[in-house]
Amino acid sequence: MNGVHLRLKQAPALRVDLRGVTPASLAGLSAAQIERLAVTHGMQTLALAELFAVSCDGAAAAGDTLMFEGDLSRFDRIGWQLAGGQIVVDGPAGDYVGACMSGGEIVVRGHAGLLAACEMAGGTLTIAGDVGDHAASGLPGSMDGMRGGTLVVHGRAGERFADRMRRGTALVFGDVGDFLASRLVAGTVAIGGRAGAHIGYGMRRGSVVFAGAVPSVAPTFVPALAEAAVAWQLLARAIARHGGPFAGLPARRIGRHLGDLSADGKGELIVAA
Amino acid sequence: MTAANPAAPLQRNGVVIDDTFAEAFPMKATRIVITAHNLTWARHAANSATGFATSVIACGCEAGIERELGPDETPDGRPGLSVLIFSMSGKELAKQLERRVGQCVLTCPTTAVFAGIAEGEAIALGKNLRFFGDGWQMSKLIDGVRYWRVPVMDGEFVAQETTAVTKAVGGGNLLMLATDTESALAAAEAAVRAMQRLPNVVMPFPGGVVRSGSKVGSKYPALMASTNDAFCPGLYGLAAKSEITPDVHCVLEIVIDGLTEADVAAAMRVGMQACIAIGAAGGLRRISAGNYGGKLGPYLFHLHQLLGAPEAAA
Repeated sequence: MNGVHLRLKQAPALRVDLRGVTPASLAGLSAAQIERLAVTHGMQTLALAELFAVSCDGAAAAGDTLMFEGDLSRFDRIGWQLAGGQIVVDGPAGDYVGACMSGGEIVVRGHAGLLAACEMAGGTLTIAGDVGDHAASGLPGSMDGMRGGTLVVHGRAGERFADRMRRGTALVFGDVGDFLASRLVAGTVAIGGRAGAHIGYGMRRGSVVFAGAVPSVAPTFVPALAEAAVAWQLLARAIARHGGPFAGLPARRIGRHLGDLSADGKGELIVAA
Repeated sequence: MTAANPAAPLQRNGVVIDDTFAEAFPMKATRIVITAHNLTWARHAANSATGFATSVIACGCEAGIERELGPDETPDGRPGLSVLIFSMSGKELAKQLERRVGQCVLTCPTTAVFAGIAEGEAIALGKNLRFFGDGWQMSKLIDGVRYWRVPVMDGEFVAQETTAVTKAVGGGNLLMLATDTESALAAAEAAVRAMQRLPNVVMPFPGGVVRSGSKVGSKYPALMASTNDAFCPGLYGLAAKSEITPDVHCVLEIVIDGLTEADVAAAMRVGMQACIAIGAAGGLRRISAGNYGGKLGPYLFHLHQLLGAPEAAA
């Protein structure tokens, strides 16, 4: 594979902030130049070479893949504000992976920490393992969560998944914690496993699809009497392409609940039978 | 209309192909896909939406059903129909589209409507119709495409937000000159059936056929078009200039609108071939075409060239 390969030498003592280490920022740099790039380690700054063994064939290009290898669970903000190119993490990733990304692709072949894909606006983030709390939500203190792109979590997700999300698609193959899609503004969320308590708490619009266990629906939602076969087919076909628990969605019948009536009440919980 | 040249007779199966050409014009077009619970209701909507759309002279647009679509060809997996709508400008096309979809598709039970062309300038499809929802409408962005879900009494009407406008060609035509009404109808019907098997074209007149072929202008200043007296058998011997021969008692015309010049040419070719197959034995005497001397439209479809006649190639 063409690109820049960063192999972790040893786990750092403190958390490392990897914002700014993207395919675009490394474009045109040689391996020696990449090794001298500074990253924050706790209160210090370190050269990338102190943490990683860097290898690349000639000068890196913006379209190249940036590959991290090792346990990066103490490395935060991988792919922060990524606008293009591909990042692969061959192992676990820390907090804020894919946060504020607007394009490109990130693949994490392990678990990810808190706030994955928060305020993501475009591109694709795929996590093979679990994600922590507040994935696809907003940065702390922010009014808006994920606003575009696609987040696919093959494992489980923590609490407040898709909190304040307003656009895009966020899928979890496994279980999710409490307050799924709380304060959801719009967008599509699909869950393949079980969901915790307080689903759609305060959601205004948007769709939450349950392909796995039947969820417990709050009394602030009302059952929908009308069919929505066309919209369901459009939505189900798009989600089904991701496979796993969603593969057979277009062929399944659905029940819908509309709410949250304590907010705008135009959201829908779609339960596939 | 120019006269066909009787000095250069090209005959196929006893049918004379006039050495003339059809003259066509640039238009703007879009394709929409109408789906429904079953094909019957999709056809009700499509027939209604393409009604009163025979000529831009007074209808605002020319439209027709292009073909049936199976469930595997539509975005929502239901049976449907593709509809082509042509107009003289993108602005008029947008106006006609919104009116027709709003009054004929939104109103029809179980229907949904989608764009049938992806490339081109976007015009509103469900973008403004959504306001019928009175605030209850919902938007859904799926794979980068925005759809509107408008609550209606049978559930919800789903419409893609926009469709695309493309350049197109309108006014391709064939004239079938026959010994009697029965023969002219048989030739015209066969030609329309052959053309309907092709993509990207519609024949906007009733049954695809028009009996009131027109020329530009009139003795009455208020009229921009009037009867094509040169091809009216009833005016043989009366009109100063006639294209009718004594054996011709009925003339019918097919007008073809297509997305490209090649589409119109292909439709005219298969239409002529269908007519030729009927031949003189079936009462068809001549095939001709209408034009304006080549001065108005940039697209000229020479009948001999379409049939690959050797003298045309030379």
